[in-house]
Amino acid sequence: MNTHETSENGPILSLEKVSKAFGGVQAVRDVSFAVERGRIHAVIGPNGAGKTTLFNLVTGVYTPDAGRIVFKGRPIAGVPVHALVALGMGRTFQNVELFSGMSVLENVLVGRHCRTKAGFWGAVLKPASVRDEEGSARSFALSMLDFVGMAHAAERRAGDLPFGWQRMCEIARALAGEPELLLLDEPAAGLNASETRELASLILKIRDLGVTVLLVEHDMSLTMEISDRIAVLDQGALLAIGAPREIQADQRVIAAYLGA
Amino acid sequence: MKRPLANTLAYALFAAAVAATGFGLKNPYYFQVLTFIGINTLLAVSLNLLTGYAGQISLGHAAFFGIGAYASGIFSTHFGISPWLSGPAALVLAGIVAYLVGLPTLKLTGYYLAMGTLGFGMIVSVILNNWSAVTGGSSGLYGIKGLTILGVNLSQGRNGFFLIWLLVIATFFLCGRLVDSRVGRALRAIHYSEQAARSVGVDTAGVKLSVFVLSAVIAALAGVFFAHSVGFISPGSFNFLMSVRLVAMVVIGGMASIWGALLGASLLTILPELLQAVAEYEMATYGLILILVMIFFPEGLVMGIRSAYEHARNVGKRAHPEP
Ligand SMILES: Nc1ncnc2c1ncn2[C@@H]1O[C@H](COP(=O)(O)OP(=O)(O)O)[C@@H](O)[C@H]1O
Ligand SMILES: [Mg+2]
Repeated sequence: MNTHETSENGPILSLEKVSKAFGGVQAVRDVSFAVERGRIHAVIGPNGAGKTTLFNLVTGVYTPDAGRIVFKGRPIAGVPVHALVALGMGRTFQNVELFSGMSVLENVLVGRHCRTKAGFWGAVLKPASVRDEEGSARSFALSMLDFVGMAHAAERRAGDLPFGWQRMCEIARALAGEPELLLLDEPAAGLNASETRELASLILKIRDLGVTVLLVEHDMSLTMEISDRIAVLDQGALLAIGAPREIQADQRVIAAYLGA
Repeated sequence: MKRPLANTLAYALFAAAVAATGFGLKNPYYFQVLTFIGINTLLAVSLNLLTGYAGQISLGHAAFFGIGAYASGIFSTHFGISPWLSGPAALVLAGIVAYLVGLPTLKLTGYYLAMGTLGFGMIVSVILNNWSAVTGGSSGLYGIKGLTILGVNLSQGRNGFFLIWLLVIATFFLCGRLVDSRVGRALRAIHYSEQAARSVGVDTAGVKLSVFVLSAVIAALAGVFFAHSVGFISPGSFNFLMSVRLVAMVVIGGMASIWGALLGASLLTILPELLQAVAEYEMATYGLILILVMIFFPEGLVMGIRSAYEHARNVGKRAHPEP
């Protein structure tokens, strides 16, 4: 599904001295790091560390006060949120944001929006090209639902599903846009132990498709287990970055976060 | 989710009902009332596309109805242009105006559109009332020609009834197709979460602007027909009260439902005819009806009645409790 560009060796995403404040709160402070292709990267930190803000900066929802964010070699400044999705960025939300009154399949089809073209006249006249596009969008969406194990719920109203299922559907919706970089904001939040295990193996499966994963977590266990690289955020600033083993051994991290 | 057969059947029944009514009725008063219901249904469907499906509130929709009516009326009476040309010209004009009104207001989320359209509706009202040389001012515009083909007037009586309901059916069909398409899904997604829609790649500002323009053009189409059917228009038909009436039709019938728009438009066209006595308190009556519907049928009457029916059926056949 993913057009993995082996020719591009640079990082898929890099942050250069990025800062963002809300009033007096410095939510993100001078953060720099790079995300390598094909890996699982995690950003961890206690509540209020600035993880979600960082996500909203990377996905173009917020504009940094200072610094630069580069996605696939392109500075994202001024690129609208929806255009970043078309460039290959997908995301999920900390508090699952499905289109609650629509079916699960329709939710995932909206995720396919940026890879399809039919416009107003196409909808009304339904020529063969539009019917074909709709057909292949449907089968792609179903295959994504199948991938996350939710094909059985395709026709259910999204808002009626249990929370854990909603989270999986949201991931399927993001995958439907064929992202090269998938951002997951606290995907384990609100999941029980067995659901968290399924999530861990799903994230590994997504990585195996060639999709780079950037995940934000509040809880350490999942991240330590599946991530290739971890950045620790504390009060908006980058405290440490490295492999899980290094992070676990880092005295500053232990003091600021693990010890707490 | 998708019930194409049921849909086709519903359209067929509806078309049959329109045909039977059209050929069966004799009384011209009924034709007039049914024609007004048709015009209001067209308006309600157009607003429903914007409010019911995309979740964007317009408090000045009557202004586009007015632009359609006045533009076509003025072009054809003052400049002697055939209504068959002045009508389409009025639709184009309404589309352009909607684009210009929507462009700044729809970039923003929240209630900017509601406020922007409210102000816009007021401005249009003021122009219609005060630019007397062109609009006829508060006494209105007289002597608007009918839509005729080879001397046959298509905009009045039985013909008018058929023409407007043909337009309604065509619009139902168009909206039905649109809603169940890539664009329609994006519209509905915006209703549930604009932020999520944007984050999965929907150009929300662009989609909202397109549906706003489409909605305005359909409202203007109702206006064009209205002007050439009645032959006389005055600002009172296109003021804030009319905009509120349209919102009431959509809310009462049910958001995001074309049949709901039909029901809402029918009720709010017939009720004032029956309740001439309360005309003075029309605004208050709508307010009261809106509050009651919001409390007892938050999804509108069509969905409310359907849920009540399904509930009754389930209670009736529930021999053993659900697991
Ligand atoms: N939209 C906002 N407006 C004002 N303050 C905000 C906003 N978003 C986040 N903050 C503040 O920025 C800090 C970081 O928040 P957030 O990024 O949500 O942290 P995390 O996701 O790590 O829990 C917190 O102090 C929070 O209150
Ligand atoms: Mg957060």
